[in-house]
Amino acid sequence: MPRAPRGPGSPRRPRAPARTPRETVRSRPTGARSTSLNARRREVSGPSSALEEPVGREEALVIEPPADAEQSARPATAGPRFQIFIIDAGWDSPAHRVLRQNFGLLRDLQRGERIYVLSREKSIEFIRSHRADLVGKDPIIAVHDLEALGSTGTAGFHGFRLHLGLLRTEEQALLALQAFSRFLNANRQAGDLEALIRAQLRREGLFGAIEIILHHEPREIGG
Amino acid sequence: MPERWSDYLTIFMSALAVGYVVYEIERRRRKLHDLWDVLGGEDAELTAGLVAMVDSGELQPYTGATLA
Repeated sequence: MPRAPRGPGSPRRPRAPARTPRETVRSRPTGARSTSLNARRREVSGPSSALEEPVGREEALVIEPPADAEQSARPATAGPRFQIFIIDAGWDSPAHRVLRQNFGLLRDLQRGERIYVLSREKSIEFIRSHRADLVGKDPIIAVHDLEALGSTGTAGFHGFRLHLGLLRTEEQALLALQAFSRFLNANRQAGDLEALIRAQLRREGLFGAIEIILHHEPREIGG
Repeated sequence: MPERWSDYLTIFMSALAVGYVVYEIERRRRKLHDLWDVLGGEDAELTAGLVAMVDSGELQPYTGATLA
């Protein structure tokens, strides 16, 4: 996918110097590009803020919500923080099955947030008319951060997407779904979601390097 | 300058090892970025499309317990 590679020579959003969390959102230029979430390994024994590939299991991505996330910036009594959209054209894929089987639990865990499910026809039409490069990446769970949308609109950071359809096994899809739910629950009150995500990106870069060096072998991520 | 062929071999193998690590890190990063995508300015149209569907009432909050 052309959106993914953000290597040194990538034409996408240039790496910005460290900024304060609020600056991160407000100073985003209009043409800000989207980048992607990252993660690190999940540590079973304690809270962490990264994605993890379970050792000895089929590889999968998991986002761990930061334990020390900025939780105080938004009052807990505020209205819904997110709008969640489920876009699924209906491919007979492991991710499709996992999403169907676990949707009830996902909905219960995200009670208080509005979840919108696009029908198969609407999903197909939506993907066709807006972004053809999303074909095959569905089921897609798009999360709109209402707080960011309210302050900067769609010009800057305003949420994220999980492309479940890229995962090849049900276990991978389930772990990603669990991580997704955990991330939302843990960061519902976060002052700056983007800063959290970028912190995880940096963390993943470091841990990924260490992991590769220690394991001396490639570890497949995401299938 | 290295004086023995084994020195050249060591340098070559070291370069290969470093290159492999860099390649592997970048590959992991690409896959993660494929899976988790942050919405930014270039997704404005996509977001606007979804918001418009909500605003027009075409999409209503889902209340079902399971996906149809």
